[in-house]
Amino acid sequence: MTPRIEVFELVVRYGDTTAVDRVSFAIAPGELVTLLGPSGCGKTTTLRAIAGLETPTSGAISLNGSPVWTTKRAIPAEKRGVSMVFQSYAIWPHMTVFENVAYGLRVRGTSAADIKSNVARVLDMVQMGAYADRPSSALSGGQQQRVAVARAIAFSPTVVLFDEPLSNLDAKLRAEMRVELRELQRRLDITSLYVTHDQEEALAISDRVIVMSGGRIEQIGSPEDIYNRPVSRFVADFVGSANMIEGRVVSTDPLVFETKAGVRIRAAAGSPHSTTLALRSSYIHLRPDETNQIAGTIHRRMFHGDFIQYVIDWPDGQLIVRRPPTELLEEGSAITVSFAPDYCVLL
Amino acid sequence: MRDLRVWIVPILVVVVGALVLYPLAFLITESFNVGDPQIFPPEAWGAGNYLELIEEPRVIGNTLLVASIATVLAVLFGFIQAWILTRTMIPGRERLERLMELPYYMTPLIGALAWGVLLGPKTGLGNQAWHLIGFSGDFFNIYSPQGIAWVMALFEGTVAFVMISASMKSMDPSLEESSRVLGAGKLRTALRITLPMVAPGVLSATIFVFAEMLGSFAAAFVLGIPGRFYVVTTAIWESTLSYPPDYGHAAAMGLSLSGAMVITLGIARLIMRHGSYATITGKAFRPRAMEVGALRYPLMGIAWGYIIVAVILPLGALTLTSFQKFATVIIPQMQFTLANYETAFSLGSIGPAFANSMILGVSVATIGVPIIGVLAWIIYRSTMPGRVLMEYVMMIPQAVPRLVFGLGLLWAWINIPIPLYGTLWLLGIAYFTVFLPLGLRTIAGVVLQVDKSLEECARVCGASWTQQMRTVTLPLLRPGLVAAWLLIFIASVRELGVSVFLMGPNSKVIAPSIVSSWLSASSELSAAMALLQTVMVFIAVAIMFRVARSVTGTPG
Repeated sequence: MTPRIEVFELVVRYGDTTAVDRVSFAIAPGELVTLLGPSGCGKTTTLRAIAGLETPTSGAISLNGSPVWTTKRAIPAEKRGVSMVFQSYAIWPHMTVFENVAYGLRVRGTSAADIKSNVARVLDMVQMGAYADRPSSALSGGQQQRVAVARAIAFSPTVVLFDEPLSNLDAKLRAEMRVELRELQRRLDITSLYVTHDQEEALAISDRVIVMSGGRIEQIGSPEDIYNRPVSRFVADFVGSANMIEGRVVSTDPLVFETKAGVRIRAAAGSPHSTTLALRSSYIHLRPDETNQIAGTIHRRMFHGDFIQYVIDWPDGQLIVRRPPTELLEEGSAITVSFAPDYCVLL
Repeated sequence: MRDLRVWIVPILVVVVGALVLYPLAFLITESFNVGDPQIFPPEAWGAGNYLELIEEPRVIGNTLLVASIATVLAVLFGFIQAWILTRTMIPGRERLERLMELPYYMTPLIGALAWGVLLGPKTGLGNQAWHLIGFSGDFFNIYSPQGIAWVMALFEGTVAFVMISASMKSMDPSLEESSRVLGAGKLRTALRITLPMVAPGVLSATIFVFAEMLGSFAAAFVLGIPGRFYVVTTAIWESTLSYPPDYGHAAAMGLSLSGAMVITLGIARLIMRHGSYATITGKAFRPRAMEVGALRYPLMGIAWGYIIVAVILPLGALTLTSFQKFATVIIPQMQFTLANYETAFSLGSIGPAFANSMILGVSVATIGVPIIGVLAWIIYRSTMPGRVLMEYVMMIPQAVPRLVFGLGLLWAWINIPIPLYGTLWLLGIAYFTVFLPLGLRTIAGVVLQVDKSLEECARVCGASWTQQMRTVTLPLLRPGLVAAWLLIFIASVRELGVSVFLMGPNSKVIAPSIVSSWLSASSELSAAMALLQTVMVFIAVAIMFRVARSVTGTPG
C-alpha cells in the first residue's frame, strides 16, 4: 500500500542551526503516528514542513504517493489537502463556531446544503452540536479544542496533522480528550501525524512512536517497543521512568553486567560494549521473586495514589522503584530488590 | 497573486524609504551649507552653522528652562493621577480613567489659545476676575516661560499618566502582598517594595516627556512669540522668516535638536528595557486598590481637577470667547454673537482651510492605512530580508520634531523640478511621511496580537493567499486599521509643525490658519475655529471608542 505520508531525508535549516536533520519515515493509511521529543527537537518543524508552512532545505515530502515538496517543486499549503489542528487551536475569533468549521468546505466551493449537513455531522461527533451558532470567542479551552478538531476533519481530509493539540488543557481534560481523539481517529480511519512532548500521551494513543532529539530520529517503534526496548539512553530516559546503571559487560554467555560497585546483573540481550544498563522503575520488585536479586533499604516512600514511588539505597547509590499502592512498606526497612533479565536493557 | 507581491513590496519599500530619507538628506546637506543659503547644492561647505549655535546660548537656555519646568509639572500631574486612579478606591474610577485620554486630544495649540484667553495679561478672564475682586496687577501672565510650560505640562501630563499607570498596573500585586505577609507595614511596603518597582517607569516617563518637550512648538509659538521669547523650535521658525531665510542655520538647529531628542529617547528606552522590573512579565494586573476612607472625596476632587483644568476650563473659555463680538472681552460688557462662526465658514481663506484639512485628513488616512498596513504585515509577518531596516526607516520621523521635518520637506521639494510646493499634494505627502510611525505602531499592535496560526490554519484548510487575506487576516486586523485611520485623520486635521512650512496661499489648512488669525489679534475668531477643529477631532475620537468597544473578537 502507498504510504499516506512519506518523508525522505528531510533537512530544515535556519541560518546556522539545523532544526531537522535527515529525517525519514513513512505513515500507512489509517495509522496514527506520534512525533515525540523535548521542545526544540524538530518535531513541530517536521510537521509544519509536511503541512507546507515551513520550507525545507533539502529532502522530499510525498503525500498519497505524489511529491508535494522536493528541491524542484513546492506545492503550497492550501493545495496539499492535509488538515491540521494547531497548538493554539487557531479558532478564528471573528466567526461563529459554525463558520469556523465550515471554512474548509466553503473554500472548496461545497454547496450550502452539504456544508450544513457536514458541519452538523462533525460538530455532533465532537459533542459540540449545541454550540454551532455561538460566537467562537465565548468558548472555553476544551470547547475550542473540540471545534478545532471538528474544523480539521470537516472537509474529509486524507491526512490530519496534530500540533500538540492537548498541551493547553488541564490534566483531567487532557486524559479525556486523548481517549476521544483516538476513538475518532479509529472510527473515521484518519491517517494522523501527532506531535507531542508528553511521553504518556504518545504511548497511549499511537500505533507507532517516533522519538526525536536534536533534529534527528532516535527510534521508531510501537509504544511497547519504545518502552521496553529503548535503543538509546535518550529514549530510555525521556520515555517512562528508568534507572540508569553504570558499569560494563563482564561475560557474554551468560550475559552479565557488572556495576561500578561490583553488583552482577544478568541481562537477556545487548551489545557486549555497553556501559549503561537501563531498568524501568515499574519492573523492579521489592521481594525476591525474580532472577536478579540485590539487598537494599527503603530510603524514602512517596505515595502518588496510582502508585507508590520508593527510593531504595543499594550498593550503586539509589534506585527508583514504582509499586502498586497495595505494596506499602515502611521507610528504613531492609528489602531485597529483584528484576527479570528480560527487562535489563543494555545501551 | 505572488507576482503582485513580488512587485508591490519592493516598490513600497523604495517609495517609503525615499519619502523619509530624502528630506533628511537635504536637511543634513543644508546644515553644512555656509555659502548662500538659497542655493542648492551648496557652494561652500563648513560647520559654521553648528558653531553659531554655541555662540547663541540664550535660546538653548530658554528651551531647557521651559522643558524642565514643564516636565516636572507633567510628571507630577501624571504621577498623582496614576496613583489615584490605579491604587485608590475612589468613586467613578473607570470613568475618570477613560476621561484621562481627553487632554491628549486637546493639543498644545488649543491649550495655548485657551489659556491665552484665560490668563492673558490684563484682558485674560482670570486676570480680569482678579481685578474685579480687588487685586491689582495680573494674577498670572501666561505669555511667559512659566505659562508656556504650564500649557505643555497639562498636555503631556496625560502621556506621563499613561506611562506611569502602565508601570503601576503591570506590577504583580503578590509582590506587595508577600511583603505584608512577611511582616512589613503599609509604609515600609510602599517605600521598600512599591517605590523601587515603580521608579524606573516614572524615570523613563520623565525622560520621554522631556524629549517631547524639547521638540514641541505650538505653545511656545502662540505664547512665546508675542513677548519675543524663543525656544529652539520657534527660533528655527524665525530664522526661516528672516530675509534672506537662513535655512542653513535652521537646519543645523533642527538636526541638533533631533540629536538631543534621539539621545534622550534612547536613554528612556534603555531604562525601560533594563531598569524596569515591573514590566518583565508584560501581564496586566489589577493592583489591589487601597481603601482610603474619608480621603476618597478629596482624592476624587484632585483627579477631576486635572480634567477640569486641562479640558473643561480651556474649552469653556474658548466657547465663551467664540460667541463674543469683540476681540478683548471685558467681563461686565459681554456681547454675544454668532458672527465668528459665520466668518469661520465663509471668510475667503478660512472656509477653504477647513475644507482642505478635511480633504487631507480623509485622503491621507484612506491612502496611508492600506500602504502602512501592507508594510506592517511585511515587517512583522514576513521573512523578507531588510524588514528590520525598514522598520527603523519608518520610525525615523518619530525622532525628528515635526517642524524640523517640515523644514527638510520644504527645502527638499522646492529644489525638485516637480511643481508640488504650495499644493495640497505636498501637504498630503508630508502628512503621510510624518504619520508613518503613528500608523505603523497602531497597526503593528494588532498585527502582533493576531496569532500567526490563525492565518496558517486558513492556508491548511485550503484557502489561497487572497482568500486568507479576505476572510481571516483583514477581518482580524480591522479594529487596528480603523483605529489607525481615525488616528491619522485626527493627526492630520490638527497638524501644525509641518503645515506652517508647506502651506501655500492656495493650500491653507486649519491649524496654521488658527495661529495666524490669533497672531493678528482676533482671538474670538481663532476661538471659534479652534472649537470647530476640536469638535472634528472629538467626533473622530468618539467613533474610535465606539469601534473599539464594539469589537468583541479580539483574540486572547
